[in-house]
Amino acid sequence: MQSYWFGDVGDGNCTPSSGDVQAKADRVRSIHTSMDSFIPLSWEISVACGACRDRADYIAKLREVCFTAADRDIRQQYSGKDAELLQMVRTLDEMDTVINLLTERAVEWYQLRHPTFTRKYRKTPAHILVKNIREKSRGALSFVAGEIERLSATRTELAKAVSGRANDVMPNTSALIGGLVAARLMANAGGLEDLSRMPASAIQVLGARTALFAHLRTKSPSPKHGIIFQHRRVHNAPRDCRGKVARVLAGKLAIAARIDHYRGVADPVFLESAQARIDLTGTVRGKETGKTTGKETEP
Amino acid sequence: MIWIGDVLVSHGEGGVYSERMLGNARVWDPFRSKLAALYHKGTGVEITAETRVLYLGAANGTTVSHVADYADVVYAVEFAPRPMQDLLEVARRRRNIVPVMADATRPEQYAPLVESVDLIYQDVAQPDQAMIAIRNSVFLRDGGHLILMLKTRSVDVRKEPDIVFQETVDALISAGFVVQESLWLVPYHQDHAAIICTKPEV
Repeated sequence: MQSYWFGDVGDGNCTPSSGDVQAKADRVRSIHTSMDSFIPLSWEISVACGACRDRADYIAKLREVCFTAADRDIRQQYSGKDAELLQMVRTLDEMDTVINLLTERAVEWYQLRHPTFTRKYRKTPAHILVKNIREKSRGALSFVAGEIERLSATRTELAKAVSGRANDVMPNTSALIGGLVAARLMANAGGLEDLSRMPASAIQVLGARTALFAHLRTKSPSPKHGIIFQHRRVHNAPRDCRGKVARVLAGKLAIAARIDHYRGVADPVFLESAQARIDLTGTVRGKETGKTTGKETEP
Repeated sequence: MIWIGDVLVSHGEGGVYSERMLGNARVWDPFRSKLAALYHKGTGVEITAETRVLYLGAANGTTVSHVADYADVVYAVEFAPRPMQDLLEVARRRRNIVPVMADATRPEQYAPLVESVDLIYQDVAQPDQAMIAIRNSVFLRDGGHLILMLKTRSVDVRKEPDIVFQETVDALISAGFVVQESLWLVPYHQDHAAIICTKPEV
């Protein structure tokens, strides 16, 4: 017997499937066709079956089923909790790029108007600089600087939202490495499911694509860390044990991502043992240099 | 195929992707569509009002819309949700397109939907493109055609395009296809080849 979208066919008999379009679309998904003995359907059978009047009717009814199925599948794919977080992270990263570019340009413009201006030997943070430019300039430049400030404010709000959403969508990963970095890892992997399927060694160098391929192609050393460097546990660790911390952290992150994807709730027992293990790696070397590296816990 | 001078066109409702119009004919640009490039190279398979097409890798439905202007029916298979949204919109206004959201590497997912076809057109960015064609050949009637647009860079970026091309042709031949013609799509598309096969009559 062979199952098609309009019904079951076999032994000279044919049973049209019942139900509305929605039911038919759901039925198509549940059919498991074995391709070894498969015979492509023909519309004449469906007419003989009483499911359709003629070819035009056959195509029209088939289209209805396909549209319903596609709408359902698209909706399902977009309803994943990580889908929106992915867009939020990418927007955030793009805003960072835009703000940096505009700030650089505004400073250059400002220098033209103030030939004695220099940033040497000054540690003015970028946002203060932009504020100064807005206050000390007139006209278009002042407007541009004001616009950069507003963009920065939006960016700050967005970063908070990303962090909050990440805590909700990937509680375990976020607890280990912070919501923002966790979200970036997820975005770089292409989604929570993709991240949960990655080996720890891939998570460790996620975001270090150039360095990784340079390493694979030439004799340059392998990258020790990618995005996870952004977390202070890694970048505060002394140089000679940074790779070790990154490796242990990535190992725990791989487990955390899997719990997040398949269970979706925080696992305090796992988190406690993982935190302790990562802290241990950071402090072994930390004692000698007088630095405590792994003691911080996530807010 | 319909030509106005040396411009390939198709007859149908315009404005799908702000394509250029010549009167009421839609210009089919060889630099945008690989299938149009194939016809501009002076070859390809004639699509008529009787042709049933299985289109693998339908994407946003731009090329699909032109194929649908010529064909009887087009089964358009696409996997990714974002291009699928566009494809659905195209299919809503062209009543001979059947949109199928499924993975072309797994024909069992859409086997209950697709009838036997005269032409399989495959344009997917996947590593094993020959395998996808072979798996889908159950839908192809005996004597039907397969047009495989080979994206050599999707198969393996490190391999020479020529080697990938040859390997794919060999795989198709050993699966029982008769290769009619194979050519590169320069100057319209770089690193893309077209392979035209027939499924022999038993």
